[in-house]
Amino acid sequence: MKPAKAQLVVNGLKEAGVNFTAGVPDAQFIEVYKMLAEDCDIRYVGTANEAEAVGVGFGAWFGGKKPALILATSGLLVATYHLARINLLHEVPVLVVIPYRGDIGDPRWLGLYKKTTEPGLNAMDIPYRLVSRSADIVRTIKECNESARAWLKPVAVLLNEEALW
Amino acid sequence: MVTRFTLLKELSAIVPDDVLVLTSIGNNSGFWGQLKDREANLFHLTMGMCSPTALGLSLALPNRKVLALDSDGNLTLNLGVVGTIANEAPKNLTIVVMDNGNYLGSHKKEPGMPTATGGKMNLEAVAKGCGIESACTIEDVAAFRENIQRALANPGPHFIRARVEALDIDGPPKTKRVPDPRENKYQFAGYIQRTEGVEILGSGLGGG
Repeated sequence: MKPAKAQLVVNGLKEAGVNFTAGVPDAQFIEVYKMLAEDCDIRYVGTANEAEAVGVGFGAWFGGKKPALILATSGLLVATYHLARINLLHEVPVLVVIPYRGDIGDPRWLGLYKKTTEPGLNAMDIPYRLVSRSADIVRTIKECNESARAWLKPVAVLLNEEALW
Repeated sequence: MVTRFTLLKELSAIVPDDVLVLTSIGNNSGFWGQLKDREANLFHLTMGMCSPTALGLSLALPNRKVLALDSDGNLTLNLGVVGTIANEAPKNLTIVVMDNGNYLGSHKKEPGMPTATGGKMNLEAVAKGCGIESACTIEDVAAFRENIQRALANPGPHFIRARVEALDIDGPPKTKRVPDPRENKYQFAGYIQRTEGVEILGSGLGGG
């Protein structure tokens, strides 16, 4: 991933007003995690797994933060129970940003995630936008965060290979 | 050893009104809701979510005391959070783990299946091994009171493993309704907004 693309993701989070992030570093998104860890305006909490990250983001929301979870496609599977819980029981907003491995055009073996990511989000009733052009990254992150806050639920942004690499 | 209810009753007598208390699902929520009806409670934190939620809240409000009433089964589902707490090191966070060594002991007349702490795991040693220096085990009311008061008066993070009886043989009469998750969300968030001056609720809509 080129640093300029990672910067677009961070810029999108900033334009959206996100000031708190949590997640587990992922090889394809490592530049984003590093930028967040060094950023003065956005607190980044590195967790041991993605379900823990959901809890940390949930708690931060109660403290007035505007949280986002930065989750790998594999990590989304780890986070599902807690995401479903806050979505369907508590109705608390959180932005979920996912580098979407396994979409069409991604040549590696990760087609597994084509079968789990979008069906998983649909099963949890989590709306999402799929971004295929880097020019759309900032605007889409901002729009999805606004929707999450308006609808009081998690909303996801899927950034696929075409947009990121 | 002591019962969960005995310790929660003691906590209800000494916890300051402005300490934010987060409770795991089961009898930590059920008993606490009967003992301490207050807006500063967040109930029903499901398996693996109590201490992570308390961590996020303590980081967001670094000048406000946050106390998690967790349990052994709930915490061990996401045990990695103990390491995260040690590294993030929020000074305002206290984790209390009601450790009864079994799943579902809070609901049944016989102990449920053992948790890891019903076997060889020692959560105080886990916390210390993760880097939380202020970690202890208590087994009676006097030690519980002393460690809670010390935790709330000194910089943390603090980790208190409370070894309690396997079964909740006592408990408060159910005279109050514990709020459901959405109702509780609005109460708790509204209280924090009012007392901390932060904006939580509201969608940003309403401007036309």
